[in-house]
Formats: sequence, C-alpha cells, structure tokens
Amino acid sequence: MGPLYKFGWFGFAYSLQLAGLIGFLFGFLLERAGFGNPRKLTAIFYLRDFAVLKVMFTAIVVCILGLLYFSAFGWIDLDRVYLLPTFIWPQIVGGLILGVGFVIGGYCPTTSVVATVSGKLDGLIFIVGMMFGSFIFAELFPLLQAFYSSGDMGVVRLSDVFGLHSGIIALLVCLMALGAYWFVEKVEERFGDKETLPGGSRKIKRSAAALLVVLGLILAIINPDRIATKRSSLQIHQEKEVEKIQKVVPVPVEPSSSGFKIMDDEGC
Amino acid sequence: MNNRYANPYVIGVLLGLVLLFSFYTMGRGLGSSDSFSRITTAGVKLVAPAHAGTNRYFSRYLGGGKSPLMAWLVFLTLGAGLGGLFSAFISKRVRGEVARGPSVGVSVRLWLAFGGGILSGFAARLARGCTSGQALTGASELAFGSWVFMFCIFAGAYATAYFFRKEWL
Repeated sequence: MGPLYKFGWFGFAYSLQLAGLIGFLFGFLLERAGFGNPRKLTAIFYLRDFAVLKVMFTAIVVCILGLLYFSAFGWIDLDRVYLLPTFIWPQIVGGLILGVGFVIGGYCPTTSVVATVSGKLDGLIFIVGMMFGSFIFAELFPLLQAFYSSGDMGVVRLSDVFGLHSGIIALLVCLMALGAYWFVEKVEERFGDKETLPGGSRKIKRSAAALLVVLGLILAIINPDRIATKRSSLQIHQEKEVEKIQKVVPVPVEPSSSGFKIMDDEGC
Repeated sequence: MNNRYANPYVIGVLLGLVLLFSFYTMGRGLGSSDSFSRITTAGVKLVAPAHAGTNRYFSRYLGGGKSPLMAWLVFLTLGAGLGGLFSAFISKRVRGEVARGPSVGVSVRLWLAFGGGILSGFAARLARGCTSGQALTGASELAFGSWVFMFCIFAGAYATAYFFRKEWL
C-alpha cells in the first residue's frame, strides 16, 4: 500500500534518486509541451494558445481520479499523503503576485528551469530574480510573519468546504475541466494561430471526454471517502484483535516510521 | 528550430501520471520554487553564516546539521533541468537566445525577466509554493487553498497582461 516511502519501502538516499527520476520526467514533459518558451506560456494571457490551462487541468483531473481510485482499491492511504494546509490570505495575495510575475517575467519557477537549460538567458535571469525575491522575503520575514500565518484554516479540502464527498467533487472537477476545454478551444479558434496549435481528432477528444465523465460518475456513486474510512476502521479493529490475542503491549515499530518526519518544507 | 510542440492534452495525461507516481511512492507532489529558496539560503550561509542562523526564515532550512541543499525538491529540480535539456536536445531546441516578442529589446526583456523573477520568488514563499508545488499538487489533492491560489494566478496574470502586451506580441 502506498505511499511506499511512508511505509518504509526505501530510505532517504533512494528517495533522492527517485526525486531525480520524477523531476526528469517532469522537466521532459514540460519541454515537450513547449513550456521552455515564454511566448508559448504567455500566449494564454492573450487568448491565443491555452496549452498551459490544458496541461494543468488535464494533469490535475488525471491525478485526482488516480488518487481516488487508488484509495478506493486500497492501494494508497490518503491519510499519509502530505496535504497542503490552507492559509487563505497569503495564498490569495501570493497567487495574484505570482500571476503578475508570470506575465512580466514570462515564466513560473519550474518552467524557468526548463527555459534556462534550453539556452534562454532570460530564463536564467528569471531564476536569479527568483532567488533575490526569496532573499527579500526572508529578510522581511519578521514583518511578514503575521500575514504569512493569517487565514489559517488547517487542512481543508474542497469536499469539506462544499460538504460533498470527494467522488462528487471529482465528477464536478471533470465537468468543469471539460467545459473549460470546450470554451478555450472556441476562443483559440477565434484568436489563435492555426499553424502552431496542435490539432487532435475530434473523435478521440469526444471519447476521452466521455471516459472522464464515466470515471467521475463511478466515483460519485461509490463514494471513495466512505470506502477509505471503512477500510481504516477495519484495520484498526483488526490490529486491536491481534493485540488482544497476542497480549503484547509494544508492537514493533517499522524502522522507517520513526526516521521520517513531515517537515515544514513539503510545499513547493 | 522546431516549434511544433506536443499535444497539450497528451502531456497533461502523462504529467498527471507522473504526479500520481510521486504521490504513490513518496506521498507528496512536485515542486521547485523551494529549491531556489534553499540555494539562496546556502548562499547566505556561505557569506554570512551568523545572519543565516538568526534569520527566522533561513534558519528553518538549516536544522539537523545538514546542508540546506540536501532536500528532496532540490533533487527534483535538478532532474527537471536534465529532463528539459534532454527534450530540448532531441528536438534541436537548445539555442542561446533571449526569448521575447518582436517589439521589445534585449535589455528591456532581461530587466523584465529579473523583475518578474523577484515577484515570483517572493510570491512563492508567501503562498508556500508555486504553480507546481501549490497549484498543481494541491489542486490534485483537492486542497481548498490551492484551488483558490490557482485561480488567483490566472486573475493576477489576466489583470496585468494588457500592460505588458508589447513584451510578447
């Protein structure tokens, strides 16, 4: 059951190698999509090319479905996945500033790395700026600390906010993404450059859309949250039974679980 | 130079699978801005170790006697650089240049890249993550704040895009 690292399948040194592999695939895919090119990236803000939105939404939808199905099948314990806490005010202000930085600088942090390695000097300058920005933040941190910690809502998921279970949220996200794809393709038809926009057969798109809706609907019906809760309560129950039979107080702890602590830096 | 890029939906599906793989193996998502904060910390530590130790933000990276660079996300960012290089190389897209629109000069573009970098570096620290670590990763976990953050990126960018159209169009 995943996450493998948190169940002690491998140690810190191997996790760093894995980071290199995951990063390699990440950077490779971003460059394939053309995200080392700031004109391609910023074209979304001039309504000409929505590749940024398509890649992001598709990745998010695929990952949401994957996580919820994995959880429903008992392949991953979502309670052990590091969930980003919500600090709503700094996230709103940070998001707005990051958007402005994106338009002015032409990149977001990861894409600037991809641009730099493909030879773009402006990408490198962006990275230098980013380090300077981090420096300014750290130097001003005593002044910013109160705001940085404001709006602390803890770990809240969309399901908590809307009072719906994750399966229904996943279905709604699928529908929202499909609506967004439909809308931005209409906009691209009007403002975009047909020469550089990748095509794609209408038939495949329709089938993929139908598949997304079906996968979302199944999740909305089976309620992955309930399945996961049931499973974990069953596990706790079984563990208690085992303890009763064995009457042994200290259950041997896996070596990894003591060695790993969630640190403050798990965000980006 | 090859300007035909891959289909974004296909890349999106593959990126979603890479993200899922990261969650499955590590229990965490992607990210990169943290690496640059760590490199900055390492630099400050080199130049002024006492200052780095007393600064409340830098010092969070300096615990445990390890180098601030000995971190998962730093290796991920290194990998991203290699992966990007490999992809650009096989498509013959590695070329020294300053990417910009036709109506803007090199020095203006570089100053704007620097300014945009400063804003992004600052914003990513404030929001505890960037487009990948906060928006992509958090949204996949259905984290509320990450969704708000993602829409705020679009809002901030669309609100200012008009004023910088000469840089890109």
